[in-house]
Amino acid sequence: MSEQAAVSERVQVPQWLLQPELGMCPCGCVGKRKKGSYLRKTLNGGAGLLRQVMFSDDTARQDGLLQRIDPRVKFLSVIVLLVAAGLARNIATLVAVYAVTLALAAASRLPVGFFVKRVWLFVPIFTGIMVLPATLSVVTHGDVVLTLWHWHGRAEGFTSQGLTSAGLIVSRVAVSISLVVLLTLTTPWVRLLAALRSVGVPRIFILIIGMAYRYIFLLLNTVTDMYQARTSRTIGAAKHDGGARAFLGASGGALFGKANQLSEEVHQAMTARGYRGDAKTLQSFRLRGLDIAAALCCAALAAAILIGDHVLGS
Amino acid sequence: MHIPDGYLSPQTCAVGYVIAVPAWAVAVRRVQRVVRNRHVPTLAVLAAVSFLVMMFNIPIPDGTTAHAIGATIIAILLGPWAAVLAVSVALGFQALLFGDGGVLAFGFNCANMAVLAPFAGYGVYKLIAGRSELTAPRRALAAAAGGYAGINAAAFAAAIEFGVQPDLFHNSAGAPLYAPYHLDQTIPAMMLAHLTIAGIAEGILTGGVVAYLQRANVPLLRVNHAGVAAPGEKPGEKPAGPRRVRPLYVALGAVAVMAVLTPLGLLAPGGAFGEDAPEDLDLHKYGLSAVPSGLNKYNGFWHHALFNGYDFTSDAHPTIGYIVSAVVGIAIVGAAIFLITMAVRWIAARRGASRRHETVEQS
Repeated sequence: MSEQAAVSERVQVPQWLLQPELGMCPCGCVGKRKKGSYLRKTLNGGAGLLRQVMFSDDTARQDGLLQRIDPRVKFLSVIVLLVAAGLARNIATLVAVYAVTLALAAASRLPVGFFVKRVWLFVPIFTGIMVLPATLSVVTHGDVVLTLWHWHGRAEGFTSQGLTSAGLIVSRVAVSISLVVLLTLTTPWVRLLAALRSVGVPRIFILIIGMAYRYIFLLLNTVTDMYQARTSRTIGAAKHDGGARAFLGASGGALFGKANQLSEEVHQAMTARGYRGDAKTLQSFRLRGLDIAAALCCAALAAAILIGDHVLGS
Repeated sequence: MHIPDGYLSPQTCAVGYVIAVPAWAVAVRRVQRVVRNRHVPTLAVLAAVSFLVMMFNIPIPDGTTAHAIGATIIAILLGPWAAVLAVSVALGFQALLFGDGGVLAFGFNCANMAVLAPFAGYGVYKLIAGRSELTAPRRALAAAAGGYAGINAAAFAAAIEFGVQPDLFHNSAGAPLYAPYHLDQTIPAMMLAHLTIAGIAEGILTGGVVAYLQRANVPLLRVNHAGVAAPGEKPGEKPAGPRRVRPLYVALGAVAVMAVLTPLGLLAPGGAFGEDAPEDLDLHKYGLSAVPSGLNKYNGFWHHALFNGYDFTSDAHPTIGYIVSAVVGIAIVGAAIFLITMAVRWIAARRGASRRHETVEQS
């Protein structure tokens, strides 16, 4: 909680959004609410989704190193570094790249604790659990370094190959996610879209992505409202029976109906304002000295990754 | 099922984009033709819906989570090409904004969930629904089966992509560089979760939405079912006549099936029966004292194979040789199927023409 408070001081996300349950003591000493179903949990997580997006906008507005670089350069650099990290074959290389991403996060004034948490929570930890069985000789054959049991006189346990493989995949996943999180936390969403357009993504995709982004939260509200209305009319605990399934199907159907109507209304509003199936962008990017320097640094880093990895051998 | 970066090698990710980019290009053109300039708001809202559907993660006993995609229901309501774009955009959001699914792996994530899932699901739906009425219970069941099939097809493809990694990419000591599990481990792991839980969730969602729309919002269902009759209507004046077979589509479909099924060959243990070289034969087993003279004479009768032993580099680059042999082989078989279909169509057309000629003469 203290870290969350520190984050919220730095940025402008309202405090009530950061509290998991309203009207409860944050330390959890007073009262306890019953854990809801996964459906309820996801809907309650809607605020978390909004918070994540608002937080990105806040950090992208700060005055840091990466925030000053042209979004196009940043996007292409992330792709190049992702490929370079993907081709690396040594854990040491990947750890070094991870250190570089941490340094970049600090130079961009991102709260480093938050950055580390955002990267490591879920995917790399989940990956670590998932590859755990692969470290055993049952899955990855090789030289057993720690014998756990014997099977027909043969030693079975952790193999050096399995451990290397697990270390490689976890560090590579962490590096990849760090790079993408660095991009999204330091680039306003609108400018990221404009950058995608100028690196060759067709305009129709940009239009769809930009509009979908606006309607996610509206539709999420619709779903939350439907669920709220249902629970407020339900007496007793929710049951998982035919009625629940019918409710799921009906909500889905109603959501599609509403979405269809919404898209028609939006289209009419767009046509009324002169939309003819084409869009123009106002912003144009100009490369400055800093951007060229950043691109050169990225190329040098990618080359260093590949050459260093080659020197370390496979 | 969202593959993060780091699980697949960059080379594999490139293959994913090779599949996804043409699908996007065709989808953009198809969708523009169907919904004209209304496509942007429609697809944007559908992408948002798909994003919401994927947000609902269902916990699975093994500690991970699974989720529905919503690809099949979009395919049923607005056609599979619209589903390709809507689900791709939703996946793009998740990759860029929330770090769910990788940026390099985006190509394969789209190939699995935005291309394979809607087409497989829609195909099964069309197959089961047949020519039933728009509000027939059979259509809701068909939709449920389609959703179930679509998500499982996507999961199966993802399992294959994971499973081929350790054989293709490992270091000199044999340590896998990317996803470490083999096909015989990834396929059961992925399919167990999706056949039992995620598939059923997608099936209930797809079937439930169609059943609800049959009761409450038939016009929305009718958007993509132009020729299907609703109760109380006369059957639509569907253009009669046999469906035209397009040789190019048949050949491309056959090639796609082959490419998808190829990795299954890696699962099979041992060699193929009757394909050994004569010197590898266990003569004692068959009660022989020497290799039969006929076998000796005709073995090696043909020395001019282009890809001898599925390789042309004389073992300098066995992997590249193998892959090039596979690509050339698939291309040749695809071309052969194309020519055969052309020939069949030509013969059928001639027969039809002569029959029409006869009836004209008789009358």
